[in-house]
Amino acid sequence: MVKVILQPEEEIVTFTKINTAMQLLNKYNLHYTDALVIRDGELLTQDRKINKDDEIILRKVVSVG
Amino acid sequence: MKCKVCKAEAVVALPSHNTAFCPDCYDRFFMKQVSEGIRKRKLLEADDKVLVALSGGKDSLGLMYALAELGYNVTGLHIDLGIFDSSKKARSVVEDFCADKGYPLKVVALEQEGTPMPLIKKHINRPICSVCGKFKRHYFNKVALEDGYTALATGHNLDDEVARLFANTLRWDQAYLSDQGPLLPAENGFAKKVKPLFRVSEFETANFSFLKGIPYHHLPCPYSTGASFTGHKMIWRNQEIRSPGSKRAFYGGFLERGQPAFAAIHNKKKEYEVVPCTKCGCPTSVGICGVCRIREQLDEALAAEPK
Repeated sequence: MVKVILQPEEEIVTFTKINTAMQLLNKYNLHYTDALVIRDGELLTQDRKINKDDEIILRKVVSVG
Repeated sequence: MKCKVCKAEAVVALPSHNTAFCPDCYDRFFMKQVSEGIRKRKLLEADDKVLVALSGGKDSLGLMYALAELGYNVTGLHIDLGIFDSSKKARSVVEDFCADKGYPLKVVALEQEGTPMPLIKKHINRPICSVCGKFKRHYFNKVALEDGYTALATGHNLDDEVARLFANTLRWDQAYLSDQGPLLPAENGFAKKVKPLFRVSEFETANFSFLKGIPYHHLPCPYSTGASFTGHKMIWRNQEIRSPGSKRAFYGGFLERGQPAFAAIHNKKKEYEVVPCTKCGCPTSVGICGVCRIREQLDEALAAEPK
């Protein structure tokens, strides 16, 4: 299971299978310049593979005040 | 994906520049964007004493870090808006960041000034975002002038500037279009204001702050729901995806060709004179400045409240 923490909402969702960072962004209708994809303190570009037990932080970048 | 410079594993891809970078090359790219922006637009002199407005977000903290790295004499200024846990969190992020890096910091707490934002929101029937902005600008300028700073730097990035320019263009607001830009020179009781991040996008500052290990405050203000600038940013976000580089072209073109034209028109017909506020001495185009007027309204509302 891939665990995803969406920020700033701090929503946690799990997915049975995500292949790439791009696929994960698509799940949330996000373009790759809309959010940082973070795994173990490292930034991932949209082409990077996501492994089945990964924990990913998806941090949206748009300031809303 | 490989870094376009050194071929190491890339961590940031930038469609607007058609490139990708590893952490070290990204750091060099970002710092160059900031330093070149400062140089080309003559935002700062080497001996400027710079007051940096710190909200606790990625842009202002990233700006403080970048300016310090570039060798500028920087001091942070945080306005504690008094908005419940949100302001407590933002203030502690700023205080921890400055303590960790050894940066000097000043804090103005609106609670102590008798004007916390929740109290104003409760008693004054005006859009709270505009009131909040007015108070922040008032204190930024006041502290900068009273404490002898030669420049006030804010973390406005390319997305902020494009959204503002778009809003001003939708209204064809000549006055705003005549002086919008990354540099507002000191005049009429206003400190010099600079926006050194005007060439970098929100995505770029977020990446920079993350890679520099800056633990920024990323929760939205509880009062910001439906702020019009967010809508404008979304319009431009879609445009940028369709046509990477649109934001830079729009804003860059305005600075080169639009702003000078509006400035020429507007300077011919100055409709107002800036004078000191009769109550606090801060610059205003009317007798009593906006902040003092809100203070008066608040005092009246509180006096009229049943005891």
